[in-house]
Amino acid sequence: MALLEIRDLDAGYGDLQILDGVDMDVGDEEYVSIVGPNGAGKSTVMKSVFGLTTYMGGTVRFDGQEISRLGPSEIITRGLSYVPQNENVFAGLTVRENLQMGAYTLDGVPESRVEAVFERFPILEERQSQRAGSLSGGQQQMLAMGRALMLDPALLLLDEPSAGLAPDLVDDMFDRIDGINGAGTAVLIVEQNAKEALRRCDRGYVLVQGENRHEDTGRALLNDEQVRADFLGG
Amino acid sequence: MATGTDTSSLAAFVRERPFGIALAVLVAVLFVDLFRKLGAGGITVADLAGFLKDGTVLGLSLGLAGIGLAMTYSILNFANFAHGDYITIGGVAGWIATFLVSGLGSAELESLALLTASSRTLGVSVATAPVAIVVGLLVAVVLTAAMALLIDRLVFRPMRGQRGISLLIASVGVALAVRYLLVFTLQSGPRGLTAGPATPSWDLAVGSGTVTVTAHELTLAALAVALMLGTHVLLRYTTFGTAMRAMADNEDLAQVSGIPTERVIRTTWLLGAGLTGAAGFLIALERGALTTSFGWQLLLLVFAAVILGGIGSVYGAMVGGLVIGLASRLSLVWLPESFIIVAAFVVMIVILLVRPEGLLGGVTTV
Repeated sequence: MALLEIRDLDAGYGDLQILDGVDMDVGDEEYVSIVGPNGAGKSTVMKSVFGLTTYMGGTVRFDGQEISRLGPSEIITRGLSYVPQNENVFAGLTVRENLQMGAYTLDGVPESRVEAVFERFPILEERQSQRAGSLSGGQQQMLAMGRALMLDPALLLLDEPSAGLAPDLVDDMFDRIDGINGAGTAVLIVEQNAKEALRRCDRGYVLVQGENRHEDTGRALLNDEQVRADFLGG
Repeated sequence: MATGTDTSSLAAFVRERPFGIALAVLVAVLFVDLFRKLGAGGITVADLAGFLKDGTVLGLSLGLAGIGLAMTYSILNFANFAHGDYITIGGVAGWIATFLVSGLGSAELESLALLTASSRTLGVSVATAPVAIVVGLLVAVVLTAAMALLIDRLVFRPMRGQRGISLLIASVGVALAVRYLLVFTLQSGPRGLTAGPATPSWDLAVGSGTVTVTAHELTLAALAVALMLGTHVLLRYTTFGTAMRAMADNEDLAQVSGIPTERVIRTTWLLGAGLTGAAGFLIALERGALTTSFGWQLLLLVFAAVILGGIGSVYGAMVGGLVIGLASRLSLVWLPESFIIVAAFVVMIVILLVRPEGLLGGVTTV
């Protein structure tokens, strides 16, 4: 049984349906990417898993339990964390306060978690008293991930983590995601940088117009004629 | 060469900040004129000290009353026009409790509950009836908070997620409903509350004159400062306060971080309205009287304080309140009393021309 099981999921916003019968799995400690053209509904899959869209049918199971009708504040306690694409830090709060907010659902912030995040992202420890809004784009992305790691989730959802980063920082970001995955956290990632995401991940899904189109290992998708022609620019 | 660069950069500076320069010149001229007046005996040092004291008391009232408005603005993203009537609720509810505690047995129950009993006969002051004052203050806090929660449940919660302008208009409706419910029960017309001249006061010698400070002014000032400090500690040093700031900063992210947003909203109403109730009670204490519309009449100045401070910033509300209070009273140096409100708003407009985001806007959220 997979850690995350999405079956025949229909979802959207208000009356507007975006996802149409999406199926997807993420296994324990697996690294899975979702790629596809703009408007395919990649981010919507992630938001739907996290209870941020209008549910229209199907099931989402996490660790064997149905979560499709739960809100984010309940879902986060089950072992999922989500890093949105934009405005993913509290700009007016300090770095440390941002991390504290990541563990809000616990009574008291465990200092060991803060230390674990600082170990993974040493720059955050240096900047812990600075306002998050004063950090660079790359540092903000690290802080956003750090906040999401505060509860030591079993599955981390990352929405376009390389968006807006300078090209020389993109590789570093992917290395850090490898590190997080290597430490035992399953990762589901949506990326515009499809080639790099497919190169790094265990498995990938190609989503088109809210429906599954292809599913295979990252390598296989990278080498698939059809996928290459459609999305990867040959 | 160097001089040329300096001149052109100075010119650029003047061009970029024309209002700032004009304001600086105006303030300098006023300062010079103030000292000239002091020297020539146009006003005395005691007059000036009196203006500063009155301005500080008014400023602290406005600051305290503005915290709740800034809090709900930053968390719920709308300007609550019923805020003035929350001030009135605090004053009325608290003073009914104070009258009941201090006058039960010596005056008719109805006259106490409707605040029509003679304030001279009751003779309430912090010195003669401290227990009644404390009870009144607590009742003001609790009842205003409860009322705000009830109104949120009935009116604002069903509208959650709607645009600020819809909520603002709804709040105008709430304001009118609350005010006329109060008029319906209490009838309009001012009510005397305290012992008036019998309230303890001290004449402090300043220069050749004296400044009178009443016990009620001191009570208001001390409690306002204490409550502001309490708010500061809550916002900066508690996890819940951090969550409030987080939510003001980015509500969507607060939600995905697992912060229970509805509970933060509820607590914001409780805290904001509780402080507003305390402000209403203390302002009525300091003035020694209230009407069913005193909060509404104060709302314009409270808004001025909050906007001046940077709308949505709690610290801005405190600072803005002091600026408005001091500016309106210091203007008495140059202007007749009927112009003090005008002066307060002119100061607000001028400062906003220089800093459109408000004094603390953009510096700190909540």
